[in-house]
Amino acid sequence: MANLLEQLLNALALAGLLFLVSAGLSLVFGILRVVNFAHGVFYMLGAYLGFTTVALTGWFWPALFVVPPVVGVLGAVLEASTLRFIYGRQPIYQLLLTFGIALILEESIRVLYGPTAKGVEPPALLQGAIDLGGLLYPRYRLFLVALGCTVGVAVWLFMKATRAGLVIRAVAQNHEMADCLGANVARVRTLVFGAACALAGLGGVAAAPMTTAYLGMGIGVIVDAFVVVVIGGLGSIVGSMAGSLIVGAAQTWGAFYLPETAMVIMYAVMGVILVFRPWGLLGEEE
Amino acid sequence: MRRRRFLEISVATLAAPTFLRRAWAQGPIKIGMPTALSGSYAQYGIQAKRAADLFAKDVKAKGILGRPVEFIFEDTAGDPATAVRKAQKLVEKDGVKFLTGVALSSEALAVSAKCPEWKVLFMSTINGAGALTAKSFHRYFFRVNTSGPMGARAISLYLAESPMKRFFALGSDYAWGRDSAASFTQQITAAKKDVVGSDYPPVGTKDFASYIAKIRQSRAEGVYLALPGQDATIYMKQAHQFGLNREVKPIMEILELENMKAVGDAMVGAIGSSRYPFTVDTPKNRDFVKRFHELHGVYPDMFDGETYEGLEWLAQVIAKAGTDDVEKVIDAWEDSTYDGLEGPFLMRKCDHQAVQPGFAVECVKDPKYPHPIPKILATYPGDKVTPKCRTEEFS
Repeated sequence: MANLLEQLLNALALAGLLFLVSAGLSLVFGILRVVNFAHGVFYMLGAYLGFTTVALTGWFWPALFVVPPVVGVLGAVLEASTLRFIYGRQPIYQLLLTFGIALILEESIRVLYGPTAKGVEPPALLQGAIDLGGLLYPRYRLFLVALGCTVGVAVWLFMKATRAGLVIRAVAQNHEMADCLGANVARVRTLVFGAACALAGLGGVAAAPMTTAYLGMGIGVIVDAFVVVVIGGLGSIVGSMAGSLIVGAAQTWGAFYLPETAMVIMYAVMGVILVFRPWGLLGEEE
Repeated sequence: MRRRRFLEISVATLAAPTFLRRAWAQGPIKIGMPTALSGSYAQYGIQAKRAADLFAKDVKAKGILGRPVEFIFEDTAGDPATAVRKAQKLVEKDGVKFLTGVALSSEALAVSAKCPEWKVLFMSTINGAGALTAKSFHRYFFRVNTSGPMGARAISLYLAESPMKRFFALGSDYAWGRDSAASFTQQITAAKKDVVGSDYPPVGTKDFASYIAKIRQSRAEGVYLALPGQDATIYMKQAHQFGLNREVKPIMEILELENMKAVGDAMVGAIGSSRYPFTVDTPKNRDFVKRFHELHGVYPDMFDGETYEGLEWLAQVIAKAGTDDVEKVIDAWEDSTYDGLEGPFLMRKCDHQAVQPGFAVECVKDPKYPHPIPKILATYPGDKVTPKCRTEEFS
């Protein structure tokens, strides 16, 4: 019983982290129609800035609130100064651009922080393990489960229940029509891109105490995030939640029960879903 | 007056020491370093470069054979195909006769395979794969550093005498991780102890929770870890958060300073082997650590020390050969000895593996240092930790 609970929590904690990264990736694709290769680097940037904030203030909590806006503003500035001018072109231009941004940011971080991984201590409240009926479980992972759920519900409510969410959905559905109806499409795109980067930054801060901040963490996570988005459906927040849960479960349970095939399981699930629903579990058929 | 001036210059030139004129004619001794300076494995390339910087400073005044030494760096980003391309550029365009500083075993295997054709000397100072001095050995390859099997041997010898009886082996899912886990299992079984489970997480695993659960359930007393740099850091962090490190002793194939800096106090208590622990107490090493720290502001990690030793030894061998002709340098190096930072080295003629001391170390806190450091638990003489010639087996 304790074992099953542990497996469940492991899957949920990983899913929480994956959701923070993949939600932004999915949003950017749904609304900007751009596959953002730089998304993982914003996640990494979040982790490193989190390290800096903790090092400067000695506290973890400020990092959680300060870093995402900073990463978001950087993302918005990059969108407004580069990506904005090539929406009309073929997708290869956007791929090249975001890939270039990823390389520049990654190497800048390496120059600034050096090659050594940066450890971040969880806040005192979340350090160590808690006894859940005979199961010792790290408090920090429980926090990740809660954080993933909270952010997921918040983003979903925002999209469904607010006027801004309505405009965003309108732009996603048909940006020309939204433009005619008075929505400022360029501004919506910039803000969505910034918000997506902020989510990635939040994911990075949250990941740092679990994985440390290290070079290459962006590339590692982006592959999983793409799988999540493909499974869940591009542009769908609920799809990202479902996808995160499936990938989280496939990775942790696969590694536990079928270690030799752990790597394959995630892609096998994705393959099956692509065969029956090429637009993803909750995506829109085009 | 013109004729007089001409005569003066001629006489001065003729009177100059002969070696100086020859040195001018021959130009610098070039050492090529195709190494990972960017990407996930940059920490290893940066160590090679730091060692080269210190060595270049040491020989700046005198040079080797009176000739200046020039290092040429190329970034491979840790990719074997790029490493071969960059090495080829160094050999064909820059005319280097010596290649070193290659970061990964996969890169080393690819570059080393080309060296007999290029007729250049490949000096490994980082690469662990046993095959380099066994199955893939050739005349142009030399390994100055401790190999992976030698590291596994040192820690196995230590564990054979420890009270721990049950072990779990966790190796990264590629050649080095699987080889090391297999080698460990073999030697621990030979010591009449049990390996109660093993697993092979993929390279770049960011969540070790499932493996941690399995290790806990196996009721092992120690877990043997052959995980590369970053993976080891993440594992140690997470195992600490799960409270596993108190129950199951972490035993690392390589206990790196980089990991200790990143993991911090959660790493204290981990044991393992070290290719070169900077805490070795020899006069030569104390001097090296001091000068290294003065130049770079950090303490030398394993491959800082190993690369520095390689360069110093290579310089000695070139001086002994009296030339930088590759064939003559190889002949001079075989069966030669060198006074290394951590003790005596011997370059075995049969497989060009440097016989050298092996170490079992423990990660401890010391108020004198800003991060945990390796404390030496046991030192094993070279003949006990070096495998039989051109094999990965021990007698």
